[in-house]
Formats: sequence, structure tokens, C-alpha cells
Amino acid sequence: MSSKINGHVSPQPCPHLLVFRSRNGPKPFRALQDCIRVKPPGGRAAIRREPTEVPRCGTCEESSRSRLYACVACAAVFCHAPLLHSHASDHSLSIPGHEIAVDVDRAELFCCACGDQVYDRDFDAAVVLAQTVNATATTSTSGSTAMQCSVAGSQPENLRKRRRVDYRPWEPDSGEHISRGNQSIPLLDAANASLVSSTQQPWGLRGLNNLGNTCFMNSILQALLHTPPLRNYFLGDRHNRYYCQQKNGAINGTKNSRLCLACDMDALFSAVFSGDRTPYSPAKFLYSWWQHAANLASYEQQDAHEFFISMLEGIHEKVEKDKRKFQSPGSGDCCIAHRVFSGILRSDVMCMVCGFTSTTYDPCVDISLDLEPNQGGSGKSSSAKSLNSFNVEADCMRPNQNCGISTLKGCLERFTRAEKLGSDQKLFCQKCQVRQESLKQMSIRKLPLVSCFHVKRFEHSSIRKMSRKVDRYLQFPFSLDMAPYLSSSILRSRFGNRIFPFDGDEQDASNDLSTEFELFAVVTHSGRLDAGHYVTYLRLSNQWYKCDDAWITQVNESIVRAAQGYMMFYVQKVLYYKESENQGTS
Amino acid sequence: MSRPPPPPPPPPPTTNKDQQRQNPSLQEINIKLIQSGEKERLKELLRERLLECGWIDEMKALCRAFTRKKGRNNVTVDDLVHVISPKGRASIPDSVKAKLLQRIRAFLASTAD
Repeated sequence: MSSKINGHVSPQPCPHLLVFRSRNGPKPFRALQDCIRVKPPGGRAAIRREPTEVPRCGTCEESSRSRLYACVACAAVFCHAPLLHSHASDHSLSIPGHEIAVDVDRAELFCCACGDQVYDRDFDAAVVLAQTVNATATTSTSGSTAMQCSVAGSQPENLRKRRRVDYRPWEPDSGEHISRGNQSIPLLDAANASLVSSTQQPWGLRGLNNLGNTCFMNSILQALLHTPPLRNYFLGDRHNRYYCQQKNGAINGTKNSRLCLACDMDALFSAVFSGDRTPYSPAKFLYSWWQHAANLASYEQQDAHEFFISMLEGIHEKVEKDKRKFQSPGSGDCCIAHRVFSGILRSDVMCMVCGFTSTTYDPCVDISLDLEPNQGGSGKSSSAKSLNSFNVEADCMRPNQNCGISTLKGCLERFTRAEKLGSDQKLFCQKCQVRQESLKQMSIRKLPLVSCFHVKRFEHSSIRKMSRKVDRYLQFPFSLDMAPYLSSSILRSRFGNRIFPFDGDEQDASNDLSTEFELFAVVTHSGRLDAGHYVTYLRLSNQWYKCDDAWITQVNESIVRAAQGYMMFYVQKVLYYKESENQGTS
Repeated sequence: MSRPPPPPPPPPPTTNKDQQRQNPSLQEINIKLIQSGEKERLKELLRERLLECGWIDEMKALCRAFTRKKGRNNVTVDDLVHVISPKGRASIPDSVKAKLLQRIRAFLASTAD
């Protein structure tokens, strides 16, 4: 869908376009721009000489069956149906210099001789401008004004953060002095080194004992222990638990001042990366988390995703650097949890009556995706093996349903698709001053360092007072390019197939980082809603390991591909180290 | 390459007393649809329905597969239209056709004075 037209690369013009330009000056479509008509809602651009013109083929009077193209040289309109007849082609062949035409309903340039679309930067810019003006100014609704202001003003944010600092050779500060004391354990011990390399397992692989239905916690912890930026943060001693507790007066302080989930994480990292391979019991961590999330404190099975969110909140609460300073939401300045996982989602709501669009930005630490609604009446899940050949079903079909598989990309496409809200969900339009039917579209304004995708497999219906689990298999890639789901791509696709002028205001905050991600952890759920089990698959040094509570085993990647993904963790490719064969670091 | 079927012959004149008006031709219907803005609304409805049922995704997948096979620089818009049109026309769900026909009939009924 989105070829790499990043706004910088323009497709090569065909020879006819080049000739046309040489004959008519560098901006040969200037006159055409006056004929751009944009109709709300949806704001599609069309070419009409007068607003009420009904285009018709000059040769055969056809106006409904095939595409109509207007010759740019002589403004005559012709039909073009490559399968049947093309009076547009006839025209282009009969008069030299009349090869370039414009699709009257799409405002896209076409070369009748080549039979292919062509692009002109100035013309495309004019179309985009006409469509943007029609949608009028965007403003945010009251819920997120603070967000909007900060994001709007944050365009130079990245530049502001990069202050130059003079080089100083490193000297340990007071916190680092403490960790250099006898509490720290050497990573590579001469005595242990041979032991570690002989087991051939990467660093940081250690089973976690189940303390009573705590596989929901173990599975998430395993994923977090191997989240590259998080792992680097804690192993790099950026949150030293001894220093933190000392600073908070833990010795004489109340219970609450001692509670710091980040300290417990630090302890966990130390234990798991110590080189000791015996399974570890994260009892202290569980106890701390219970204190933080009192309503979830029990030995009952919990939802791993809920635990994940609650954990991030817990770290944020205790680690948030300076509560007085205004933190730009979504920037991740507040704590390591948000620095790693927080991205920004953009939501556009367009009034179906007047076309007015309202835009809001909200930070998010993960994306929850719906599986496709069940179709064809079959409730059975299809395994990866049942690949049927092209099979058309009468009423409902999807490209992946022909193979019987839902994919993560499909879910993301659906997530970023423009969705017509039902008539029972009318939203207030600031221009019309009444509730109107609306079109809503989500997109990603800023990508996080680590993208966590949560598949909504647990459905809770308060109406029917029951919950159920959706077992349908979801295919997920090992490498994922998030570019098509970015706000810039989504916006571009609204304007049809053309060169998109590089608009500074829409610059994604993270456009200096790549959009390519690599999968490193998959949390799976098997069994029923009330009696199930969580297992995490980790990808280390391009090998896959199954972490089932205390048992860690190496598995083939096909096992992972076939697993029922519940949460998938992707890290920016630039942060993901693809190891060579040498062990020793992870 | 096949030609489209010829339009059906116009229905015989009605025996109504004031039957100056024949049933409108395809062209006349088309103009009515365009001028009232109904055609644009129908197109939006069609786009929405085809999107919902996965038809558009299906066509995109066909285009991608074809482009991958031929190579990105060896494919034109006309090629793509040629490739996907037969399958595309054949795979429109009946429910979508029915819905649009219903809308058009309703429109014609409402505008027939």
C-alpha cells in the first residue's frame, strides 16, 4: 500500500510527461488547479470545469460505466476502460502531445500512452491543499488540551533535549560509591565463566517459580527482564535499590516509603542475571505488587495484561522524577517505564455533515487490538496449517480468511482504519454545534521504543454477565514495519495516490528513529478463561526460549509461530542486538 | 476482451393516460443521481460496504501479489485494473449488490414525480 514515498522521493516521470513539461513550462498543470473541487464529507478531490458539470466521454457520451479522463492539453473528456475500449487512448494516439490526462473523479494524473499514473509535485500539492482547507482547522477537544498544547509545541522538543555537554572523565558519585561496595556481584567471574559458557545459555535466562497461580506475573516479568532498554537501564545501575532506599530513609521510614517497585525490579534483575541458573522465587516482588495493587492481591489467577499495566503505573508512581516540573505526556521524561513503552496515539474525528475534523493526542503504553469478529458461523479456530487455496465465500471474505488466518498486520490495519461511528454514537461537532454522525480514525503519532500489542482475547459482557475467551489463532511477524500505521502515512492515504508534500507540522516526533521493529517476547495463554496458563517465549541471540514458570527450554521458531499470542513485544530494530555466535553478553 | 452486454431494451410504454414520460434511460438516471448528489452518497456507501466485507483488502492483496511477481517497475495501473477486474466483479457480495439496488430503487421512486 504505502510505497516509500517519504515526501522526498518523487516517482520518475514517464517520457511523455517529460515532453509535456518541456512544451508547457515547468508547471503545466496550473490551469487544472482551478478546477479542483472538494466535496464534504470525506473531502474527495475531483476535477470539474464547473461545480455542476457532469463529465461525459466526448466520443461515446459514456458517463457512468468507466473511468473518465480529461486531456490536460485540450480539456476534452474521454472514457477509459482498458478491458473494453478506451477513447482516452484513442485520443492520445491521434494527437501527439495529448497523452497526459487527469482522472476527473480522483484528481490523479495519468499517461494514456503508458497506461499508468504519473505524478507532478505542484499539482499534487495543490490537491492536498484544497482538501486540507476543506477540512478546516483542526483543534482538540477539551479532554486533552494540555496534551495538544504540549505536543503542538513539542516539535522542537527533540532539539531542545539535545543540549551539548562538555566531556568529563567519569568519577563515581555517591550512589555509585555504594554499589561499588560489597553488595554488587561481578557479572563475569573467573570461577563462573567456564560454567556459564558450558551451559550454552544466554545471560539472564532463569526460571521463575510459580508461587500460586502467579504465571501471569512470571510471564510478564520474563518479557520485561529481556526488554532491551529496560534491561540496559537496570543492569546499567540506573536505579540502584540500596541508594534509593537510603535516600528515602527506608530504615526509619514508614512502610510506604520502602515500597518501590523499581527497587524490586532492580533486585529481580540482579538475581536473574547473576549467573545462577536455579529457579528464582519472586516473592518480594509479588508482595510489593500486592501492596501497590491491593484490589488484585489474591492467589487467584490474574490477567497478565492488567498486571503489566499496573506494574508500569507502579514504577511511574515511585520513580517519577520531579512531580512539580511539567512533564510532556508521552515524552517518557517521567520514568523509565514510560520512556520505554509510552507512545502517542492520534485520533481524528470528522463530522459527516460538514467535514470539520477534530484531532486529539493521547499517550499510550500499549495497543489493544480486537480480533476479527467471527464470520461464516464457524467458531473453530484455524491452525496455521490449514492454508486453503483462493476460496471465495458468498457474503463475507477477507484476504486472510481465504487462508483462514487472522494476522497482526490485519488487526493494525483495522485499528487505523476510518470507522463510521453508529448513529447511536453521534459526537458533538464544533462547527455544526450539534451531535452529528462521525468518522473516526486512529493513527500513531509517536512510536515508543518498545511496542506492546495486546490481543483482546478475553471478552467480558456485563449485559450477559459472562466472560469468554477467544481462541482464534493470530499470525504475527518476527519483523514489523510500523510505517503504514503512523499518522503521516494515514493522513497521506486520505489524499489519494499522489506525492505528499512534506508538511513540517505533521512531522512525527520520532522520525529520527526508524519504524522497523523486531519481536523479542511473546506472552501466550492456553486453556480456558478460568483455568489457563501463561507462558512466555523469548528471542535471544536469534534463538527462541520457552519460559514456563521454572522451566526454560530452547524451542524451534515454528513452535513460537504456531503459539496463541496474547501479548507481543516488539523493540525498535536499532535497539535490538542480533548476536553473533559468541556468548557472554545478552 | 469482452464487450459489456447491451442495455436492456426500454420497457413498453405504459397504458397510463398521461404517459408523456417514458421510463428514464440509463443516462437520464445517471444525471439525476449526479445532480442530486445521490451518486456520491452511493459511492461512499459502496466504499464502506466493500471495506467492511474485506473486498478492498482482497483486491489490495491481489495487486500486491501481481506487483511482486512482475516487479514494481514493470506494472502499470492499467495492468492492475486488467488483472483484478474479473475477480473483483465476480466477488462482490450479493448483500452489497442488494443494498445498493435497494437504495437506487428508493431514490428513483422518490424522484419520480
